[in-house]
Amino acid sequence: MLPASLDEAVEALAATPAAVPVAGATDLMEAVNAGRLRPAALIGLGRITELRGWRYEDGGTAVLGAGLTHARMDRPDFAALIPALADAARTAGPPQVRNVGTLGGNIATAAPAGDTLPVLAALEATATLARPGATREVPVSHLLTGLDPLRPGELLTWVRVPLLHAPQVFLKATGRSGPARATASVAVVLDPARRAVRCAVGAVAPVPLRPLEAETWVASCIDWDGSREIDPAATAAFGEYVAAACVPDSYAAEGPWEAVTEGPTAAAVRLRRTVSVLARRALGRALK
Amino acid sequence: MTSPSDIAAMPPADNARPDGGDGEQPEPFGLGSSPLRTDALPKALGIYPYASDLWAEGLLWGAVLRAPHPHARILSVDTSAALALPGVRAVVTADDLPAGPDGGHDGAPHGPVVADRPILAAGVVRHHGEPVAAVAAEHPDTARLAAALIVVEYELLEPVTDPEQSFTAPPLHPDGNLFRHLPLRTGDPEAVGEVVVEGLYQVGRQDPAPLGAEAGLAVPRPDGGVELHLSSTDPHGDRDRTAACLGLEPDRVRLVVTGVPGATADREDLSFQVTLALLALRTGRPVKMTLTREESFHTHTTRHPALLRYRHHADAEGRLVKVEAQILLDGGAYADVSAEALAAATAFSVGPYVCPNVFVDAWAVRTNNPPAGRMRGEGALQTCFAYESQLDQLAVRLGLDPVEIRRRNALATGDSMPTGQAVTCPAPVTALLDAVASEPLPALPVDDPDADWLLPGGPGGAGDPASVRRGIGYAVGMVHMLGAEGEDEVSTATVRVSGDHATVICAAVDSGQGFATLARQIVQSVLGVSEVYIAPVDSDQSIAGPSARGRHTWVSGGAVERAALMVRHQLLQPIAANFGMSVELLSIADGKITSYDGVLGMPVGEALEGKELWATAQCRPHPTEPLDEAGQGDAFVSIAFCAMRAVVDVDIELGAVRVVDVTVAQDVGRALNPRQIEDRIEAGVAQGVGLALLEDLRTEGGLLVNPSLTGYRLPTALDTPEVRIAALLEERDVVATFGAKAVSAAPAVVAPAAVAAAVRAATGLPVGRLPIRAEDAVSA
Repeated sequence: MLPASLDEAVEALAATPAAVPVAGATDLMEAVNAGRLRPAALIGLGRITELRGWRYEDGGTAVLGAGLTHARMDRPDFAALIPALADAARTAGPPQVRNVGTLGGNIATAAPAGDTLPVLAALEATATLARPGATREVPVSHLLTGLDPLRPGELLTWVRVPLLHAPQVFLKATGRSGPARATASVAVVLDPARRAVRCAVGAVAPVPLRPLEAETWVASCIDWDGSREIDPAATAAFGEYVAAACVPDSYAAEGPWEAVTEGPTAAAVRLRRTVSVLARRALGRALK
Repeated sequence: MTSPSDIAAMPPADNARPDGGDGEQPEPFGLGSSPLRTDALPKALGIYPYASDLWAEGLLWGAVLRAPHPHARILSVDTSAALALPGVRAVVTADDLPAGPDGGHDGAPHGPVVADRPILAAGVVRHHGEPVAAVAAEHPDTARLAAALIVVEYELLEPVTDPEQSFTAPPLHPDGNLFRHLPLRTGDPEAVGEVVVEGLYQVGRQDPAPLGAEAGLAVPRPDGGVELHLSSTDPHGDRDRTAACLGLEPDRVRLVVTGVPGATADREDLSFQVTLALLALRTGRPVKMTLTREESFHTHTTRHPALLRYRHHADAEGRLVKVEAQILLDGGAYADVSAEALAAATAFSVGPYVCPNVFVDAWAVRTNNPPAGRMRGEGALQTCFAYESQLDQLAVRLGLDPVEIRRRNALATGDSMPTGQAVTCPAPVTALLDAVASEPLPALPVDDPDADWLLPGGPGGAGDPASVRRGIGYAVGMVHMLGAEGEDEVSTATVRVSGDHATVICAAVDSGQGFATLARQIVQSVLGVSEVYIAPVDSDQSIAGPSARGRHTWVSGGAVERAALMVRHQLLQPIAANFGMSVELLSIADGKITSYDGVLGMPVGEALEGKELWATAQCRPHPTEPLDEAGQGDAFVSIAFCAMRAVVDVDIELGAVRVVDVTVAQDVGRALNPRQIEDRIEAGVAQGVGLALLEDLRTEGGLLVNPSLTGYRLPTALDTPEVRIAALLEERDVVATFGAKAVSAAPAVVAPAAVAAAVRAATGLPVGRLPIRAEDAVSA
């Protein structure tokens, strides 16, 4: 099915709840081609132009279409609005993937290493889910954790992101120069209006993690009224704090016997190091 | 890309095309020029036919059921549910293959050296993904579904996945667990140097990961035989082995080579071919099979993972006194060419250096890991990483420059290798080192602050200039050409000239190495004919041998040249007789036959008019001998050398490495097609950088962890460095065809060692394991 408007798509999905909506298909078709997925029907969202752009709401919020491609988010006009999301989109994959892969697809696929996800978590973005004649608003993090999942017949249509007008940074570690899946990623956004720092760590767990205590602590170290400078030692401590909060001692432990031994596993030590460097650099860049 | 001046100074006669007048750029012509590969445009345009594009009327689709365990006994195979599925035409297991010598069904074992690998597992599976049964059905999905419906009852056995455990483990195969033990002893075992360095080195499992997955079509023949359309790289070997496995006479099997989608190793393993043929014979209908990416990783052989323990003794000046080494290659479940790879690893265990006392023990063993086989510089690559790492260690201990310590020990023509073989071919090791060392270094960000600087981690990545360190590393390596240890190397070619065009019929497969282009250049040079057609390859042609070990330039190139020379003689003899002079006084240049005195000047086309001339010739290089029980013997026909300097940037906090620049100097004998050589060097460097930093087909308990192109990381354009050619040293190898040496393997052998040396220089860490993981490059 190739609906030409959002309403048509919502109707079609309600009529065939077993159908799978497909946008960029970069993850979905790979599963279909490999024989892991045999959808009863596909609803192609490519012709719904209204979902491929964004609009402003109440002056302080951007409403992003689920069909917004990574390539589009990387463009300068968008990068000026939500820099961290643009950073994540830029490094999400090779150009062929970024040209078709969409924001909504990234959320719906909910891969642990999905690059836009930690940014959306740090921005506390919400998603609009549509059914015929009704919509509901769910925080993206609730969708991802399964606290409030997508229900049958619901279509992810819009993503609401607050416009903070302050520095935001997304960094990922990949172990190569070419596009690759993140081994860890960190998003740091500043919210000067609320005098808050928000941070999310991606790829280390099935969903992005928020180190809330580290956020509160580091926000209290920042001189919000002045130059927003911070002691380099505090930046480093923030990195350690984030890493300790997001990577458990038992990370990648081989079975329960290793988990009960003293101290973190070697894998946990390595990953913490990576996360801490990323968080330190991200905060450093945001406050520069 | 810089080209050395000596390439530009090739004889102009070969470069000029007869009809290229009117100020037009003449098309490259003959040896020493760089014509475009004939398949370059079709491949770039997507119209080049590969095996997966094949089609036959009424074809069936094949699918294979693979073992989900690395080691298990097969208790029973129930194919009834699969056979009952509508659309399924045949299901075959080991029982459908001819019985073995003792009357039992042994799965028709085969192998290039030892026949130990069954086509379909019989009784026991020895590696993850080993084929157990196969299905032919009307639709590819039906075939896969039917394969999934075959019920196999396994009794799980303890897998042996650590090659060091293989020695003491119960035998995994009736042939035992040891493929080969090769000791090498030369000199005084008591010799002691003033400086001693030791190291333990590990090399991971690199996969050839050809972009085109395995595919083929089998068509039954009315005479009870079968015709296979495959991207084989060894048509005659594959034909003979397929026939043997099926119990057919070799002439009942015909193998037609289709477009090869790139091969840096053997292509289309035998199990795939024989299964396809068996399904076609069973059903009496054409059968096509295309493997998925995951299956592709399961089926073809990989590079040998290696464990190398080295001890180097040197005197105070840094000259090698003694080298002791233990080398262990993990051959995986089946023998394949492990014995050959081990010979190269042992013979080149010291590298391109002179050392009077060498004591090496090398083993290739069987495990339940994926089988390892041929792949650019098998055996030579693993030791190159180890001996070059050892030389770096010695340089640090003695406070010597890494280039200087290599110069002091460099092998030269006339020196003896540890195998006792005298190096009779050119061995310009010092010249290669000097060439890379004198090449200017790439700019630093401080030299060029305005440039868009690509940091480790890539564009938009996490790289932080403050924690990036630059490292420079050097490496030299060697690799043999042609089959070793007494293998009969021979190739046959036919050249036919008819009217204004020539045809080359030679069963040497162009696997991407560019042989077809080279054959065209040879005929152009010898006969002055510009239109040269290279016939498609099939096994009805005379034998040319496999596309491996850099042998086709030499043996098949030699055969083409000889055949072309015979045609030339046939062409010139009547003309010479007419003028009362000998053939030697005539020459062909610029598309004209001219006599020494200039009296005769006849266009080649005129001389050829109405004639059809043809000749067949063979080329067989001088024989070699097997290494004896002390690792001694003249085992190699010739050796190629290569030196590299790698420059890397390392983010020492995250361990991200970016190779900035690789500068190469290679011993090519003679540059027959300079551009193609540069392409081969770039390809070899890319593959070597992949092994050094990214490529690792991992197993856990014998199970493949990352059999996909997402999990198995191939280098992308951003991961591959700028490759600069400092020199293509053209010192003719007098016994080789045209004096040329093979070029593909040497860069792949040396690049990993050079990158490791550079990372070592940047981080100060030992770097004893390839690929280099992020945690091995974190030094802050």
